[in-house]
Amino acid sequence: MKNLILTTVLLVFCSSLSAIYAQVPGLEKGNKAPEISLPDPNGKEISLSSLKGKLVLIDFWATWCSPCVEEQTDLARLFTKFKNSGFTNGKGFEIYGVSLDAKKPNWENVVRSKKISWVQVSDLKFWKSPVAKTYNIQELPFNVLIDGKGIILAKNLHGIDLEKAISKYLTK
Amino acid sequence: MKRRISILLLFAMATSTLVSCFSPAQGQNDPWTPQQLLAPADLAKTLKDSKSPQPIIFSIGMQAIVKGSIDIGPAMVAENLNVLKQKLSKLPKNAAIVVYCGCCPFSRCPNIRPAMALLKEMQFTNYKLLNLPQNVKVDWIDKGYPMNE
Repeated sequence: MKNLILTTVLLVFCSSLSAIYAQVPGLEKGNKAPEISLPDPNGKEISLSSLKGKLVLIDFWATWCSPCVEEQTDLARLFTKFKNSGFTNGKGFEIYGVSLDAKKPNWENVVRSKKISWVQVSDLKFWKSPVAKTYNIQELPFNVLIDGKGIILAKNLHGIDLEKAISKYLTK
Repeated sequence: MKRRISILLLFAMATSTLVSCFSPAQGQNDPWTPQQLLAPADLAKTLKDSKSPQPIIFSIGMQAIVKGSIDIGPAMVAENLNVLKQKLSKLPKNAAIVVYCGCCPFSRCPNIRPAMALLKEMQFTNYKLLNLPQNVKVDWIDKGYPMNE
């Protein structure tokens, strides 16, 4: 009996700890992704937390980064494929594109030419952008996949690895 | 004995080829020499010392981040390269000049090669490329070196 009580107490303690850990903002898998709130091309502020409930890919990119621009075509394919899907940890898929551009016309031109239809935000501060520091970005492209509660599921996956990571959470 | 020497020579040649191929700071056809790479710590030290002669610093990338640098814009754009040419034409050939971009790793940067090639073509004798092999965030901002407001 004593053992049973001790095990139960331990289990409750561990589950509380993991729940607390998930609320801690950080950059590791299982942490809550730090909040971002930046203007879109029309100047309207859009926060990452406003996408709560969906599986979200935070895509850090810039028009001066050629691999990033090339990747937008693949992201468009994933966006179309998954945007209305159901996930075990979110309903629908969204991309929150954060551009590290410095010049607005460059950003707008590529958004237009690549027909990017998902959320796009930027403070147009290039590498001086505070989000580059917050997310400890070392190089572009860089991305973070989060669930409906904003918890980090994976980091810096591209191509087939990214698609597999998203598919993993699809409801059967 | 001769065979041993040949093997050793072949090994040395292969090693040197491999090293030059994978060197992050300079590729085989890059228009700069290792001596023309300026360490960020050295430039930061110069910038902090007002008594030290200051070089003329040109940002030939997306934004002039380094303190005191002049924003030219991406040197891959012909118009910007022409602006740089005009500014350089007013300087003596022995002027101390530093150029940098810092958008991307050196291997992918589209701006540093046209700018360094122009300096070479214009026969400047004292010009350097700021050694930002990863990017200006990692190699300058994160280190707390002086920045433009």
